[in-house]
Parts: sequence; structure tokens; C-alpha cells
Amino acid sequence: MTVRRIIVEPRGLASLRLTLTVPLLSVLAALIIGGIFLWITGDNPLTVYGHMVDAAFGSSRGVSETLISATPLILTGLAAAIAFKMLVWNIGAEGQFLLGAIVAAGIAIAMGDGVPAVLAIPVVIMAGAIGGALWAAVSAVPRVYLGTNEIITTLMLNFIALNLMNYLIFGSNSPWRDPLVSTFPTGRPIPDGASLPRFFNRLDVGIFIAIAVAIFAWYLVNRTRWGFEVRVVGDSAETARYAGIQVPRKILGVFLISGAFAGLAGALFVAGPVGALDPRSLDLGLGFTGIIVAALARLNALAVIPVAILMGALNNAGPSLQSIGVPPEIVTMLQGAILIFAVGGEFFIANRLRRPELPPEVLAGEAAA
Amino acid sequence: MNDSQLILTIVAAVGLGTPLIFATVGEIITERAGILNLGVQGTMLVGAVAGFWATFQSGSLTLGIVASLLAGAAFSLIHAFASITLRVSQIVSGLALTIFGTGLASFLGKAGSDPLVGEPARDQFDSIISGGIADWPIIGPLVFGHDILVYVAWIAAGAASYYLFRTRMGLSLRAVGEDPASAESAGVNVAWVRYVHVMAGGALAGLGGAYYPLALVPTWQDNPIGAAGWIAIALVILASWRPWRALFAAYLFGAAARIQFTLQTLGEPWSNIPATILAMIPFVLAIIAMIALTSGKRARFLGAPAALGIPYFREQR
Repeated sequence: MTVRRIIVEPRGLASLRLTLTVPLLSVLAALIIGGIFLWITGDNPLTVYGHMVDAAFGSSRGVSETLISATPLILTGLAAAIAFKMLVWNIGAEGQFLLGAIVAAGIAIAMGDGVPAVLAIPVVIMAGAIGGALWAAVSAVPRVYLGTNEIITTLMLNFIALNLMNYLIFGSNSPWRDPLVSTFPTGRPIPDGASLPRFFNRLDVGIFIAIAVAIFAWYLVNRTRWGFEVRVVGDSAETARYAGIQVPRKILGVFLISGAFAGLAGALFVAGPVGALDPRSLDLGLGFTGIIVAALARLNALAVIPVAILMGALNNAGPSLQSIGVPPEIVTMLQGAILIFAVGGEFFIANRLRRPELPPEVLAGEAAA
Repeated sequence: MNDSQLILTIVAAVGLGTPLIFATVGEIITERAGILNLGVQGTMLVGAVAGFWATFQSGSLTLGIVASLLAGAAFSLIHAFASITLRVSQIVSGLALTIFGTGLASFLGKAGSDPLVGEPARDQFDSIISGGIADWPIIGPLVFGHDILVYVAWIAAGAASYYLFRTRMGLSLRAVGEDPASAESAGVNVAWVRYVHVMAGGALAGLGGAYYPLALVPTWQDNPIGAAGWIAIALVILASWRPWRALFAAYLFGAAARIQFTLQTLGEPWSNIPATILAMIPFVLAIIAMIALTSGKRARFLGAPAALGIPYFREQR
């Protein structure tokens, strides 16, 4: 009996059909895994999924809430996509998002009601991006100049940022805290002048800003010399050095842009749907979900947009499940499973599997058997 | 004397450090095989819910521990398959494991008609000796007053150290983490060694997770472990991939986690420091340690496995 091993060989450029099929199958496989757990715990998976689709897309309010959830995910997805493309492991989008929210809310509150919206809104948005970039710099600078592993520093900064926000709202009488609410502390409302205008239910213009940033990021990475050099560094830092590319400066740039995207997400979220530095509305794991968005979009900035809408739909549908007695955490589970299958699927995009060609007599023997 | 704040703080630090020892020693074993597993946080949570559930159903702590070990090993098999067989990014795969495990543990804790959440544990780990030598001044509470898993953690660290540096298997393991191609030509089955040690590391993480709902706070609450899994990944570096050092690193972080309670008892002005600021201490400590220890080529001198995080392609040999 001949052992027929499967041969794995690298595929050149994968076809467009394959790069679309693998992410779609990842989502399907995750739904099946989630369905098994729902069935074990006594729920009908189809009923639950039907309920989720209805909550996310079944009404104009549902659609607007889905897009509201998608807006920060587009940006945290871009933050992960641009960093991971260059093998910069920024896992700190979570913290950079919160710092963006803190700085943006701080500037908005400091400016007060006197500043016209045309000035206040751009200032608040820029402040958020700068806040996120500076928080990223805490990891980026040691990485670039000392060679410090950024995985752990970015991770730890997430928890520091979270505690900083909790300190500002729960642990002190900071300007961020609403002085009128004393029983259960929350953030001071953002002045109207700095709040993003709404146009469809609660949906505000933040979605357009996020989409514009995605297009900008795509152009930057795929159509500029800077982006070309970034991709070279991502493929091989060695090659890049030989080609005369200043690798450290590129890494620093990508790291800070990544942080700025996440910070921008935080700014749009506080100046838009949340309207205050409210820890309960901001501590949603949007930075980590951004990593799922980036992986499922295969680090393509334009693909980030539809994937973020899908994840936004899941996030939006989650809380509504409580009405039918299903824990909303099924959403985190599904998102984690999607990421597992998406990252596993990369193997099938990168490699071709085939059976070794066998000598004719073996084939003849097998046909006879 | 045994009621002094210093003694109480050290005892509490030992308790809080114990799950960190299991998780850190587990991750050291995994990383020594050359596999970075960022799924520790998710694996601990899955081990926690499995251990709590098994004890809740059976009333047996032993079964709870067995369940947490098996759940941790089985759960980390996902990461092993993705990183060893499929050779995809270990970083993304580990993160996926953590996100999935976090959701899964929360979901299982809340799902069904009689959810676990809020239920007290049916049994819990207590001091194995009460009275007698456990009441001796100073060394009583520090040495004899703990629950059984504290001693198991000491044994685990010692055994892992012996295994890594004094046995043939340990030598193979380190060879696989340093230079898998050479290990393979010396007759070591790289994939097999990696699978076994990723699962062993996962089992220990699962056990560490179960310590929270079965010993520290004997009830099921959503995310009982805080950020312990992430801390454990930082502790591996602080312990420079050596199980014995993990013991001390874990207790140091146990003390850092406890400091807020101790300061409360000291009265003003110490008790005025906000809890949210004190909660940052372990994370700030981890960042400082990272910058001090892993900058430049220092990580190699510390003993970081050379092939850590790099997929191994047998065909390329």
C-alpha cells in the first residue's frame, strides 16, 4: 500500500475568486460553530441568526445603528491593516482608540459652546488622531530606536488607557466628568458645536469621514511611492535596506498613522453617537474587533469597509438578543471564530494542495481495487 | 504577628500569583518550542469555565481541575494546528484564540435556562493545614497556610525547570525552539514536539484560569481572570523563559495586584490614591520591564528561543 502524502506548494498570486471565497467560507464556518453551541445550550440557531439579521438590517433604525457601529470599526480595521501589512504588530488600537476619545472629548469640552462647528469639528477630529498617534508613539519609539518588542507594550498600554479613562470618570472630578450626575458617574456631554451632524436617524457624518479615510489609506498604500516602500519593507526588511529605504523611519511612520486611525475612531465615536466620554459605551473591544476586520479584509483598505459593516451588524445585533434570552457574547464568539477561520484560510490562499503523481502501475492497482 | 499587613499582603500576593505561575510556566514551555501563543487569555477563560462547570456538576474539585486541564489542552490545539500545520501568523492566530475563548467562556457562563453566572462554587480550595504549624509565627502563614494548588504551582515550576534543562526530552524541546532544522536532522520530530508542548502549555493555562473561580473568588462571574493571560505573556519575558524565575515574577505581580487593598488599610494619605491609578501598576511595570529587557539584542542574551514565532517549513530544509 502506497502512502499518498498531500503535497503543499506555494501558490503564486491567488485568483480574485479564491481571495473572496475564503473569507466568505470563514464567516459561514464560524456561523456553523456558533450554531452548534447555540443548539447545545438549547436555542435554535436559525431563529437566533434570523433575529440578528432582522435587528441589524430589518428596519431603517437597524441599518443606521449598524452603520454607526461600523464607523469606528472601519478605522480600527485600517489601523490594524496598515500596521500588519508592514509586520508592525500594533495590538494597541484599543488604547489608541480610547486616547483619541479622551483627547477629543477634552478639547471639545475646553472649547465649550463659543466655537462655530466648522472650526470645532475639525479641531476635535484632529485632536483625536493626534491623541491616538501619541499613544502609539509610546510603543513605536522604543520599537524603532531600541528594538523593543511592540506586541506587549501596545497590549499593556490598552489597559493603562482603560484605567486612565476610568480614572477621569469614576476616580476623580476631572473636567471630563459630568458634574450634574453624582449617583452613577458618566462623561460630561460634548458641546453641540463639536458634535457631528446627524442625517439619518442617529447616523452622523462620521461614516463618510471613515470611508474617506479608507480610500485615502488605500491610495496611500497602493498608489504612492511611500506606500510602495512600506510594502517592500513588509515583504522583506532586508531587501528594503538594500534598496536604500530608511526602514526605521518607515516603521515609525506606519506605527503613528496606525495609531492616528484608531484615535480618529475614538474621536468620531465620542463626537458622534456617544456624545461624552462614557466608559460603558467606549469599552467595547473595538480595537480588537478591528484586527478581525483587517484579517478578514486581507489587509486591503477598501475591503475593510464592507467587512466593518458586517462586524458592525454583529455588534449592533448582539444586545438585541437578550430579548430572546440569548447571551450577547455569542457575537464575540462568532467574531473570534471568524478570525480563526480567516487566518487558517490564509494557508489555502497562499498554498496549493495536490496529490503527488503516482506511477501508472500504482494507479492501475488502485483502479482494480 | 501573623495578622500584620505585611504578612497578609504576602499571603495575598501568593494567592494572586499562583494562577499566573501556571499560565506563565505553560507559556514558557510553549515558547521554548518556538511557538508564540497569544491565546493564553482565552485559554485561561475556557479552562476557568470548564473547571467551574465540572465542579459545579459533580461537586468534585479534582474533576474540576481535570476538566480545566483538558479544556486548556484541547482549546490550544486550535492554535497548534494553525501555527504548526497551517503555518499562518502565530500572532493573529493567538489573538483569534483569545477573542473566541473570551466570547465562549462568557457565553457558556450565561447561556441556558440555569446560567452559571452568579452561582457559588460547590467546593473550593482551602488551606490544607489549619491550626498547628500553620499558626506558627511568620513561617506558618507564609509556608504552611496555603491551599494545595499553591504547592502544586511550586512543583510545576520545579518540574518544568528540571524537564527543560535536565532531561533529554527537554533538550529536544529547546533544540526545536532554537533551530528546528538542525533538530529535525538530529532525528527530532519538530511538528510533534511543538504540538505536545503547545497543548501542555494550554493545559497549564486552563488550570491557572480555573484557580480564580475555584479558589480566589469561589463563584462564577463574567471574566473572573481580569487580564491575567496578558500579564502571563509579559511575565514569560520578565522570567527570561526560565520556570523558576516565573515563580518570583508571578508573586511580584501578585503583590502589585494586591497593593491597592494594602494601601487602603494604611489610611491617609495612602488610601487617597485612586484605585484606577493603582490598577495601572502591573501594566506600567510590564512595559518598563519590556523596554529594559528586550531592547536591542538583549532578548537573545536573556534566552529567548531563536525560532520563536517563526513558522517552520520542513520542505525548505
